[in-house]
Amino acid sequence: MTDAVDPFEAIKVVFFQECDELLGDLEAGLLAIEGGDTDLETVNAVFRAVHSVKGGAGAFGLEDLVRFAHVFETLLDEVRAGRKTCDDTMVKTLLRASDVLSDHIAAARGQADPVDEARSAGLVAELEALTRGDVYVAPAAPAPMMDGPVMAALPVDGLPAMDEANDGNANAVAAEVPFEPVPMMPGLPEADEFGFRPVAFDLKALDTLPPPAVASGWRVVFRPKGRMYAHANEAGLMLRELGRLGQATVTLDASELPDLEAMSAEEGYLAWTVDIVGASESDVRDVFDFVGSDCDTTFTALADVAASAEAAPAFDIAALLARAQAEVAAPMTLEPIVSMAVAPSAAGAAPAATTATPRPAAAPATPSASLSASPSVTAASAAPTIRVDLDRVDRLINVVGELVIQQAMLAQRVVESGLARSSGISVGLEDLELLTREIQDSVMAIRAQPVKSVFQRMPRLVREVAEMTGKRVRLVTAGEDTEVDKTVVERLAEPITHMLRNAIDHGLEGPDDRVAAGKPAEGTVRLAALHRSGRIVIEISDDGRGINRERVRGIAVSRGLIAEDASLSDEEVDNLIFLPGFSTADTVSDISGRGVGMDVVRRSIQALGGRITIASVPGKGSVFTLSLPLTLAVMDGMVVSAAEQTLVAPLTAIVESLLPRAADVHYVGGHDAVITFREKFVPLIDVAQVMGFRADPVPPSTGVAVIVETEAGVRAALLFDAIQGQRQVVIKSLETNYQQVPGIAAATILGDGRVALILDVDALVTNARRKPARADLKMAS
Amino acid sequence: MPAASAIRTLIVDDQASMRALIRTSLQAIGCREFREAADGEAGLREAITSPVHLIISDFNMPNLDGLGLLRAVRAHPPTAGTAFIMLTGRADRELVARAVQFGVNNYLVKPFTVAQLKEKLEGVFGPLT
Repeated sequence: MTDAVDPFEAIKVVFFQECDELLGDLEAGLLAIEGGDTDLETVNAVFRAVHSVKGGAGAFGLEDLVRFAHVFETLLDEVRAGRKTCDDTMVKTLLRASDVLSDHIAAARGQADPVDEARSAGLVAELEALTRGDVYVAPAAPAPMMDGPVMAALPVDGLPAMDEANDGNANAVAAEVPFEPVPMMPGLPEADEFGFRPVAFDLKALDTLPPPAVASGWRVVFRPKGRMYAHANEAGLMLRELGRLGQATVTLDASELPDLEAMSAEEGYLAWTVDIVGASESDVRDVFDFVGSDCDTTFTALADVAASAEAAPAFDIAALLARAQAEVAAPMTLEPIVSMAVAPSAAGAAPAATTATPRPAAAPATPSASLSASPSVTAASAAPTIRVDLDRVDRLINVVGELVIQQAMLAQRVVESGLARSSGISVGLEDLELLTREIQDSVMAIRAQPVKSVFQRMPRLVREVAEMTGKRVRLVTAGEDTEVDKTVVERLAEPITHMLRNAIDHGLEGPDDRVAAGKPAEGTVRLAALHRSGRIVIEISDDGRGINRERVRGIAVSRGLIAEDASLSDEEVDNLIFLPGFSTADTVSDISGRGVGMDVVRRSIQALGGRITIASVPGKGSVFTLSLPLTLAVMDGMVVSAAEQTLVAPLTAIVESLLPRAADVHYVGGHDAVITFREKFVPLIDVAQVMGFRADPVPPSTGVAVIVETEAGVRAALLFDAIQGQRQVVIKSLETNYQQVPGIAAATILGDGRVALILDVDALVTNARRKPARADLKMAS
Repeated sequence: MPAASAIRTLIVDDQASMRALIRTSLQAIGCREFREAADGEAGLREAITSPVHLIISDFNMPNLDGLGLLRAVRAHPPTAGTAFIMLTGRADRELVARAVQFGVNNYLVKPFTVAQLKEKLEGVFGPLT
C-alpha cells in the first residue's frame, strides 16, 4: 500500500486528525464510566476508539502504537463482553492507559519525544494482569520491558482463538523483528480453517444493477383557488389530513404571492407540493373529494416522479434498519462451521458471562443491541461536517473584512453626498450594512470552535498533578460547548494549564488539612466557560485555602515590589501575584513552576485582548476569571484624532471621557501631568506627544481626556484632540505588514480609506508611567 | 475476465483515513467508481439510493455495524444481490460465522495490502483485468 507515497502520507495526516477525535471519545467515555455510566454503548465507544487507533496504526506500520493499542484493546474487549467488571481500579488504569496511548500517538506523529518506555511497559503489564484477572503488583525495580510475546497475555477463557494477523505481528514486534504492515498471509491461518470460502458474485449482475429504490406513494401538487377558501375549506386542514396518510414532505410554493398593495384578501396565492410515502392513490384523492374544482390538483406516483426528475426518492429506511437490528440483536444459535475448540476452563474463568447469556462471546458482535436502547447517544455524533482548509476560511474572513471596510466607505460617501436619510440609496445601504454584519458574523462562526478541545486535555493534567502532589482532586467542567474563535481556543490551553496547576498545587490543601478544616478530603477544581456580553469568560475556581494575603504581601515587600508600609486593599494584594518577578523559587514548586509566573499568564491573556481577575476568600477558595474577546479579527473601537493623526482606542479599555478643565490639571515635578478624576489623581498622557506626532505639549483644556483602565486595573487619562466616533473596526496586523511599534497594537482601515493605528493602551500607560508608578507607591507610604 | 474498472464500489467505514486507504488500494487495482459512507446506516441509505456492485464495509462502526448493514442489504430485495466484503480488525470465528450466515461474500483482515485486497475481490468476481 506504500506504492504511492503522497496519497499515503496525506491519508496518514487524516488518520492522526482522527486520532485526536478518537482520544477525545476515549477519555470522555472512560470519564463517563468513572462517573457511573453503565450504558453498553459507552463501553462500545471506548472499545471502538482504541480499536480504530490500532487499525489505522497497523495500516501505517506504526508498530509501537499497534502493540500498545492491542493490549489495551484486548482488555477493553473483555470488559465489553462482560467478562471483566469495570471497577474503580480498572477505570483508573484505563485512564492512565489512555494517557500513554496519547503519548504513543504523539510520538508516532513526530510531535513529541519518544514515549517513556518504562511507563508504557508498566502499563502494558498492568493491562495484561487485568486481562488475566490478576491483581497487579508494581515491580520494585524499574518496570521490565515486555518479557514475552503479547500473545502470552491473551486469555484462554472461552475467547475465540485470536488468529488475526495483528497478533502474529505483535509477536514479531516483541521479538524485535522489523514490523511490516503486510501481515495477512503469513500470520493468518488459511481461510478454510474458518470453513470460509469466498462467495462468488454473479457477474451478469454487473450489467443489471437494480434501479434506485423508490418508495411507493404519491405526489400531490395542490393549488387552491380563492373560492375554495370562500367555501370554508381550509388548506391547512387538508395538508394535515394528507400527513396522516403516510410520511409526508410538504413544499410551499409562494412564488405567486404579490406585493402587499396588490394582494386581494379573497384570492388564493399559495400552492403546495406534498409527497406522501406509503399512501395509496385513492386515499390521496379522497382528501380532495369535497373541494372539486375549487383548486387545481395533479397526482403523480412517486415512482414516476423519480423517473422523470432526479429528485432523491424518499424511502422507508427506518423499517429496514429496525428489522436488521432487531434480528441481529436477537439471540441466535449458529451452526459451527468448524468445531471450535473451547478451553475446558471456560466456565470457571468467566462465570459472570456464562450466567448472563448463553452465548457470552456474542456480545462483541452485537453492539447494535444497545443501539436501540440509546439512540440519542449515537445520533448526536451523526451531524454532517466537512473539513475545510484553514487558509480558505482565513481568506474568506479577510475578504469579508474588506467588504466591511468597503461598506463603511460607501456609507461615508453617501453621507458626504448629502443624500436624504430616507432616500432609496440610504435605505438600501442600511440593509446592506445589516447583511454585511450578518455575513461577518456567519464567517466568524465558521472559525468558532467549542473550547472542548482545550477542556478535554485537562482531566489528564489534573490526574497527573494530583498524583504528583498527593492531593485528591475532582475536576468539574462546564460550558465545554462554548464557542470562540479558533485562534483564541488554541492560545487558551497554556494559561488554563498553568492556572489549573496553580489551583491544585497552591490552592488546594492536602487531604489531611482539608479534613481538619472540615472539608471533604477530595478537593474540587472547577473549569467553566460561558459567554458574557460579547466576550468569553473562563472561570477557574477551587475550594482550597484561598490566597494567603499575609504571605503574598511579605513576598512582595521582600522582592521590593511594594513599600513595606504600603496600604493596599485585599484586591490589590491579590493582584500582586501578577507582578513580574513575584513568582520565585520559594513559591514555585515543580508542578506549577516550569519557569512561568502568573505575570506570563496575564501577559498571554492580554495579548489576546483579554483580562484576568481574582476573587479569593481565605479558607474557602479562589476564583480566577479570564475574559477574552470572541474573535481577534474585529473589535469595537473609539476613533480619535491626535495631531492630525487618526487613532483607534479599544472600547473595552475605556472607562469614560471628559473635557478637562485647566483647574483639574496639575503637574508633578514640573512636567508630569495628572488630572483629577472622581476625586483621585490619574496621570494624564498626551498621546500625540508620546507617539512623537508633535514635539511640544498642548494645553490639556483644548483636548479631550479619555479615561482608560489597563488590564492590571491601573487608570490613566489619554489626551486626544477630538473624538470622532465609535465603530467596529477590522484588525490588520501591523507586524505582518510592517513591524511592531511600541504603543500600537495593530492597524485598521477606516470608512474614508484612511489607515488608522489601534492603540495598545496597556503598553502606552505602562511605558508612560513605569518609573513614576513605583515611586507613587513609595510616595504614598 | 471482468474489468475492475466496471465494478462500482461503496466503501463504508467510520474512519475517513480507512476509507481513503481502501479507495487508494482499489484504484491501484483498477477500480474507478466509488461511493463512501461513514457508518452502517449511511451506507444502507447510499446502497439503496445509488446501487453498487460491491460493498466493502468495516465491521466495527457506530450506529449500524457491518453485520447490521449486511443484514439490511440482504433483506432489501433490490440490493440483496450486492457483493459484500467485510473488513475487520479482529478476525474471529464467531464474526466470520455470523457474516457467513448473513451472506457475506468475502472478508478481509486489517491491515491489508493491495495484493490481499485484490485476492479477496477475485475470490468474489473471478480474475480481474
